[in-house]
Amino acid sequence: MHQRATIAKQEKQIMGLNLNKLDRRRFLRGSGFALALPLFGSLLPQNLLADPAVNNPKRLGCFYFPDGVPMPLPEDPSYQEWAWFPHGGGTEFTFTNCMTPLESLKGDLTVFSGFSHPQSRSVHGHNNADQFLTGAYIGGGDKEYKNTISLDQEYVKYVGDKTRVASLVMSTDGGTGTARGTHTISFDRNGRPIPAEHRPKQIFDMLFVKKNNDSARRLALSDSALDEMLADAQSLRKTLSKEDQHSLDEYLDSVRQAELKVDKAKQWLSVPLPTVDREQLNLELTTEHPREYLQTMFELIYLAYKTDTTRVATYQIGRENGVGRSDHLARAIGFNLAHQLSHETKNPNGWKNFGLYCQFLNEEFGRFVGKLKENPEPAGTGCMLDNTLLLMGSASSAFHLSRNYPIILAGGKQMGLKHGQYINNAGMNFQGGPWLGKREPWQDQAKGSDLPLSNLYVTMLQRLGVSAESFADSTGVIEGI
Amino acid sequence: MILLCASIHAASAAEVDPAAEAELPSLEQLKQTGLTRSRFHSTANGPKALPADGKPPEADLKTFQDKIKPLLTQYCYDCHGADAMEGNFQVSSLDPDILKGKDTEWWAEVFSVVTKGEMPPPDDMDMDEADRRVVVDWLSRELEAASIVRRQSGSHSAFRRLTRYEYNYALQDLLGLPWDFAKDLPPEPHSEEGFENSSDLLHVSVSQFETYHRLAREALDKATVSGPRPEPIYWGISMKQAAEREFKQQDQQVAKAKKEHKDNPEKLAEELAKLEKNAKQTFRTPYYQQLSTGRTAQAEWAYYGARYAFAPIKTKAEFPEDYDHVAILPGGQRRNIVVELGNQIPDEGTMRVTVRASRVGKEDKNFPSLQLLFGWQASNEGRALQRVSEADVPITATPDAPQIVQWEFPLSEIYPRNSVRKTSPMGHTPSPSEYIRIANSAASASDIQIDYVCVEAPVYEQWPPKSHQQIFFESENSGDETAYAREIITRFMTRAWRRPPSPAEVDRKLKLFAVMRPQCERFEDAVLEVLATVLSSPQFLYVAQASPHEAAPIDEANAQQNARLATRLALFLWCSLPDDELIEVASSGKLTDPDILSAQVDRMLADPRSERFSEHFVNQWLNLELLGFVSFKGLDPLLKEAMQHEPVALFEEVMANDASILDFLHADYAVVNERLARHYGLKNVYGNEFRRVDLETNVPRGGLLTQSGVLAMNSDFPDSHPLKRAIWLLECILADPPPPPPPAVPQIDLANPEIAKMTLRERMEDHRSQAACKSCHVKIDPWGLAFENFDALGKWRDDIRGKPVDASSELFNGETLEGMEGLKRFLLDNRQDQFVEATVRKLATFGLGRPLGFEDRAEIDTITAQIRQQGDGLRTVVQTIVHSDLFLSE
Repeated sequence: MHQRATIAKQEKQIMGLNLNKLDRRRFLRGSGFALALPLFGSLLPQNLLADPAVNNPKRLGCFYFPDGVPMPLPEDPSYQEWAWFPHGGGTEFTFTNCMTPLESLKGDLTVFSGFSHPQSRSVHGHNNADQFLTGAYIGGGDKEYKNTISLDQEYVKYVGDKTRVASLVMSTDGGTGTARGTHTISFDRNGRPIPAEHRPKQIFDMLFVKKNNDSARRLALSDSALDEMLADAQSLRKTLSKEDQHSLDEYLDSVRQAELKVDKAKQWLSVPLPTVDREQLNLELTTEHPREYLQTMFELIYLAYKTDTTRVATYQIGRENGVGRSDHLARAIGFNLAHQLSHETKNPNGWKNFGLYCQFLNEEFGRFVGKLKENPEPAGTGCMLDNTLLLMGSASSAFHLSRNYPIILAGGKQMGLKHGQYINNAGMNFQGGPWLGKREPWQDQAKGSDLPLSNLYVTMLQRLGVSAESFADSTGVIEGI
Repeated sequence: MILLCASIHAASAAEVDPAAEAELPSLEQLKQTGLTRSRFHSTANGPKALPADGKPPEADLKTFQDKIKPLLTQYCYDCHGADAMEGNFQVSSLDPDILKGKDTEWWAEVFSVVTKGEMPPPDDMDMDEADRRVVVDWLSRELEAASIVRRQSGSHSAFRRLTRYEYNYALQDLLGLPWDFAKDLPPEPHSEEGFENSSDLLHVSVSQFETYHRLAREALDKATVSGPRPEPIYWGISMKQAAEREFKQQDQQVAKAKKEHKDNPEKLAEELAKLEKNAKQTFRTPYYQQLSTGRTAQAEWAYYGARYAFAPIKTKAEFPEDYDHVAILPGGQRRNIVVELGNQIPDEGTMRVTVRASRVGKEDKNFPSLQLLFGWQASNEGRALQRVSEADVPITATPDAPQIVQWEFPLSEIYPRNSVRKTSPMGHTPSPSEYIRIANSAASASDIQIDYVCVEAPVYEQWPPKSHQQIFFESENSGDETAYAREIITRFMTRAWRRPPSPAEVDRKLKLFAVMRPQCERFEDAVLEVLATVLSSPQFLYVAQASPHEAAPIDEANAQQNARLATRLALFLWCSLPDDELIEVASSGKLTDPDILSAQVDRMLADPRSERFSEHFVNQWLNLELLGFVSFKGLDPLLKEAMQHEPVALFEEVMANDASILDFLHADYAVVNERLARHYGLKNVYGNEFRRVDLETNVPRGGLLTQSGVLAMNSDFPDSHPLKRAIWLLECILADPPPPPPPAVPQIDLANPEIAKMTLRERMEDHRSQAACKSCHVKIDPWGLAFENFDALGKWRDDIRGKPVDASSELFNGETLEGMEGLKRFLLDNRQDQFVEATVRKLATFGLGRPLGFEDRAEIDTITAQIRQQGDGLRTVVQTIVHSDLFLSE
């Protein structure tokens, strides 16, 4: 306890000391935007600067798309070209047309099959976006609803106070959605949904434009309250026996740590905002222009990362079960509604059409991954991608089936990730086929046995530097990635 | 005492009766005869180990040399003497000075095994009962004296923070709002004995501290209001309106038939007759009925388009005088009707739902009951539903004189609400509409009819509400912000900190108020910020202890000691803070007066808040959390809920009558509701409320051991699990937990086909036959096998998959237990002291909020002796604990 408090204190001094002395601005040019940003990394003492890798941030981005993916059976003529999962396994695998936009990034990513969250495997796919990052039992119908903390927020606990904005939570549909029909994949430590923002302008303002003074006022109130509570507890302490003083010290330590957190938050108020040229961005875009909208959303995350405004972002590209703005994204490639594509796979070209939509999503995701790869880490070593862990996936595969999630993990090589692999846990033993109007794949007896997806999540947390032994219902870590 | 003698007399009279001699004594008789063998029965009035002159007690080494050592030599040294070390243990090398020597814990172990009859090993050696008594008496006296010596040099501290549930109740009582304030706090760990309030386990982290502060601020926000009183909105919904929607569809079908078959009168008559017949049928799902014509229609509902929503009205609805249309809710399946109310339901405030209802038939006894639920469905997948009524409301009225049922619940506490209710328009998908559901919760097929539903929200009995006025009360000072703030803060601190705050403490809070006031727009906000620090203070969150440095005047020290006693008492019996009366008695310094203390305990046990004590103590004592995890086919929600409540209901019954705690081992009555009665095969019990039912002698129930919840949670569905049941009995009931399995113990090898095809009983026998396992399992398994007549749901069974049940087992001492009856017989005959002492320990551990140590042993013995002499009444146990030095001293 004591040691932790001391370290935090040192950090505080470093920040307090150097803020006014150093030139905190450093201009970057890239992708047409002029950026001016305060970098806490550069405020560290010189001996730490000797190894620039020390300053490498560790970022996390999580992306969700609904409706599952094309899962034609091997005997289906479309299997070779339009199945979502690659063919092969290990380091020997080939992409289908769904994934061709990621071909050039093959060495920077890993594809997974045969992973899912055990508790919701028999839940209908429409309900399951809620638990993609949490692993909770969501259930269907009229049951009581409970959720738990999401992967990104678990990481925010660890890294949230290192940046001005603890985390960026976005979705195409916006808000929280409803229970079991979520519009956000981020849930706080009490399992409550964190509202997602869908309007580019609001996201931009939140990241790069000064806000009102309410947060300053709240912090000032907390500060005075904590001072008084500390004094109050210390006066109680004097009256206690040695043994009881020892018990109360835990409380005192907690108050002190809370004070440090408030101090840290207050310092952010005085750090100048990064200057980002917004002229190049069309912040009024909506899903009426689906491709441009998607590009802008990814661009905003890129800017937030690059300015180190946040290190954690989630983006739910679409809600489950259609019905909403996100369903219009399919118009980017000439279809009407995205959700419908997943229902019509038995039609001529059904798999292909659905696959083209997935290809489009991977194209935009790939553009974003590629950009992080092209750009060097502003205050560290390597490219931004090497310091960023990106998870892209869905909580269903075959029609409404909550198993064998399609999962891509990209980036993070400087956190020790080994890529260029296909961890094919499902093998050829997967459920699929078109929906023929009757029984659906999710109602069938499960084939094969999935691994808990939380095993991947706890592995990710460890690579991000969190000393987590487990996450949700994880049973271990994933070796070899 | 008089009662006790009378019953012993009766028991011994029965022994003389030749007719009774032929039969075994009944279990009720054994309760009496077993008591005569209590060690507390004879020694409790003996001299106290602590000499009256206050000098520290001395070890009685003379008795050891003269009497005890020869007996130990005779009975023990063969195996545990200088030449032998069975179990790695030598009695001969123990230091006979139990008071000051180093072997006190070992002697306690010797005492335990000799008292229980486990040593000397019954199959090798018979110990003369008189000899056993001599050894037990000496050990008992010496250990008690040792415990007193140990206690004088300090004991476990009970300084601890409130548990999650205590924090919740404390806020509820303080603010006068019965809501869940603690759901964001992490769950508490359980101590080895299963308690959540154990001082050594209750920690605090920074995130927990921040949560306390946030929860305090939110709770205060919920308790207070600003601005003018919100206008309520109303609904008045007759089942006529609802029925007519369905009738209209029927009419359309008739019109359609008439049109289709207008040229074919025969066919038309046939079709119309069919439609008419359909419109008269009854259903097993909810339906509407017009009483005068007998016309019926099934109640339909679908979320999309909000087509079933009723619009609110401007004025308060009244029940009409007459009615001809009803909705009928069939019983037995929790059938419900949806009353959809649209997107206008307020965010907070109380929602009041009033329903006029009656039974459908007039049959006696069989009373169904109603529940209320709140929910919504926005889309195919987005939906939620939760029960908002507490106790089920029995419907006793007949149709000619229906009854009014009213529920109130806080809208702010419903989670999750329909999050699109303000953004998506009515009629669109996702639907913004919300609904209530009215459900018939009867366990049997007993129907309910309702004719009218009134809804009102938000309901405020007064404005500002009482919870607001308790904080911001009317005062002469309200014109002077600082004076008023001082008054508010002082009064709030007194209640939250269970004592009047010192002037210095108030001054500090006022200083904080002065700092905060300019940063807050409203006076009230600044005050609430300060009050939130009062609630996040260790003075609120922790249970205070005596101060070793306190140098206050006697009067003040006495008042402070009284205040701390009041807090301990309230935490014990209410799981919460003292109320005003208790604080007042304490501040007058009179709470330590035995008569006043007794009266307060009686008052507190009579208060509904004592239900929390029953619930939390019984759940932790019996580890009922296990039942929460149980879910399998055949365990319907009604049965599971009833199973969860049954142990608490029995506890409350025993408490209310100050009945003997031996009733927990066996009673000739059970406390059940209809669903459980059916499970147990008991007739003529109707309704969801629990009540006492006398048991015929041939019914194998009564007491805790045969409760289906306890049996089910210690099973491995579809099989029973004798081992789990045995360990539960030893841990929870007898406080004699078996040692954990040694590290290298062989596992039961289910991959071995020979073992895989064995029954569970055979597997246990096989496992027991291995030397490494035997020494422990021989002391565990027999207890659990005695439960074998009860299946995984706790139902009685005579055979298992065609083979007759073998519930007999042989105890370590060679005695045979014949099933549950035999187990109860053995416990009542031989283990009364162990059970009573175990129960005293459990209650005391819970009451003190700290683990008990060796130093508490003498006190526990004294308490046990006192209550054994007074007939083991549960209320007597609680009173005796509260009056003991253990509880009174700090």
